[in-house]
Amino acid sequence: MSAKESLPEPKNPLGIDGIEFIEYSTSQAQAFGALLQKLGFAAVARHRSREVMLYRQGSMNLIVNAHGATDPTPTVNAIALRVRDAGQAFQHSLDLGAWEMPTRAAAMELHIPGIHGVGDSLIYFVDRYRDFTIYDVDFVFDSNAKANPPAVAGLHWFGVVQTILPDRTADWLDFYRSLFGFEVLPRGQYFGVLPKGTLLESPCHKFYLQLIEPPPGAEDVHWDEGLVRVGLGAPDVPKAVKALQERGVVFVDHGAVQPSDKGALTQVYLGGVTFELVVSHLKA
Amino acid sequence: MNLDHFGIDTITLAGPLEAKLKAVHEAGFTQIMLNAVDIVGHPGGEAAAVAAVRASGLRVTGLQLLRDFEGLSGTLHAYKVDVAKAMLELCHALGCNVLLACSSTSPHSTPDPASIVKDLQKLALLAVPLNVRIAYEALSWGRHVNEFPAAWDIVAEANRTNLGLALDSFHVIASRTDLDLLQEVDPRKVFLVQLSDFLWEEAGSAEERIQTARHSRVFPGEGVHSDKVAEMVRQLDEMGYRGDYSFEVFNDDYLQLPPRAVAGRARSSAKWVTDHVSRRSLPVRRPATPRDRA
Repeated sequence: MSAKESLPEPKNPLGIDGIEFIEYSTSQAQAFGALLQKLGFAAVARHRSREVMLYRQGSMNLIVNAHGATDPTPTVNAIALRVRDAGQAFQHSLDLGAWEMPTRAAAMELHIPGIHGVGDSLIYFVDRYRDFTIYDVDFVFDSNAKANPPAVAGLHWFGVVQTILPDRTADWLDFYRSLFGFEVLPRGQYFGVLPKGTLLESPCHKFYLQLIEPPPGAEDVHWDEGLVRVGLGAPDVPKAVKALQERGVVFVDHGAVQPSDKGALTQVYLGGVTFELVVSHLKA
Repeated sequence: MNLDHFGIDTITLAGPLEAKLKAVHEAGFTQIMLNAVDIVGHPGGEAAAVAAVRASGLRVTGLQLLRDFEGLSGTLHAYKVDVAKAMLELCHALGCNVLLACSSTSPHSTPDPASIVKDLQKLALLAVPLNVRIAYEALSWGRHVNEFPAAWDIVAEANRTNLGLALDSFHVIASRTDLDLLQEVDPRKVFLVQLSDFLWEEAGSAEERIQTARHSRVFPGEGVHSDKVAEMVRQLDEMGYRGDYSFEVFNDDYLQLPPRAVAGRARSSAKWVTDHVSRRSLPVRRPATPRDRA
């Protein structure tokens, strides 16, 4: 095509290194916080200027954002990716055709660069996740709480489930592949108890995205594009199910999704939020 | 193939948006190709125009027109990206899944195919979250890409699911592109086909093509190249194209006629096209052989 040298991109152009945090938005922050505590998360810090809480469990950071939220049902509204250089990742994404997210930072707060993802969700880029973290600037830690509570039964981020409109799988594959270097897993390779859709693996091999089109016959079901659920990895699912049940979490106990060695699915909480357990030996 | 596969471009009709929507609907069409000017130039504002379109019951075939997008750099590129984003948001508001993007005529655009590919990949990526497909069309006076085979090379090289071709019979015929080259195109990557003819044999120079294209097109069945238009549709149909056909007939005379009358001509033209295509699609009758009789 061109006399210009066309050099291949590295497989992980942004240096993605896992999920830094998952952010939920809800106007029922307290009720959701109580649910998160049953799931093993502990509230560890509060945002300096907004109604935003940081929950932690093992390697997982989970942010609950009630600032301006009107919908009571907790919804995943952002994924923050650990990257080599946040500014570069942001610029690289814009150059390729991502939509810039307007900044939300107030004075003296960190500006976390981000782009628009599916539906109303955002994708943030974070490069401070080792000795110094983004929470050190924007959050006030609760002096009575452990800053790094251990994980229940080795729970860790496994992935995020995204619903998409019919015949949109290929469009979204293009999106995640060209922006971030995600690769699709061969059909038939599934994890957990909800084997459907298309699975994408992050270029760092640390988490997955699952794309789900509406099932056949669901023409009358209201089906939007968005992030609908997170998957928590557990090295031993029955052990994790038992530990969480003891903390008061209810799992769907019949049909195809009942707890097994492969995975489990919680009941629907707070009008629409569920969590999935998936057998996983990723690092907790 | 039936009337549901055809629609009309609003640029073909006179009058305000509501009159166009009504004329198209009353002529029996189920879809309409919009021009961004119909929406943003509406006296009641953008929201009123979107509401009128949604209330019409017509499906939106697509929105035109993103011009001179590809091959620019620096400030010009950034400016065009802003324009593209605004048009994609307009598509989204209209529930429209196709944005028509014409090959660049800009003297500031580079001929480098790799840059053109990269820019169209960017446009396609911008369109993904809004569920819009980009239909890239070779304008016959495009600066670097001016025939559909060149546009197809770009689209194939870019290799993005939501980036495909728009084919316009006017440009194919005016630039005398060999219709057999359609066989090189993947019919699944044709996102839109626009149909029109014109009344004289040749439009040789770029200037003649521009003048004819903007002022003197007619409906298929009314011009002197209509057999070629029918041949193009027949080939696409045989290749398996099942997408939309839209009558894009820029004609100064039609803009002085009631939209109802022009929409009626469009309906006659749709019948002319389907009659010609289905007649030719029938298998050739061959003499009976002894084996048939056995």
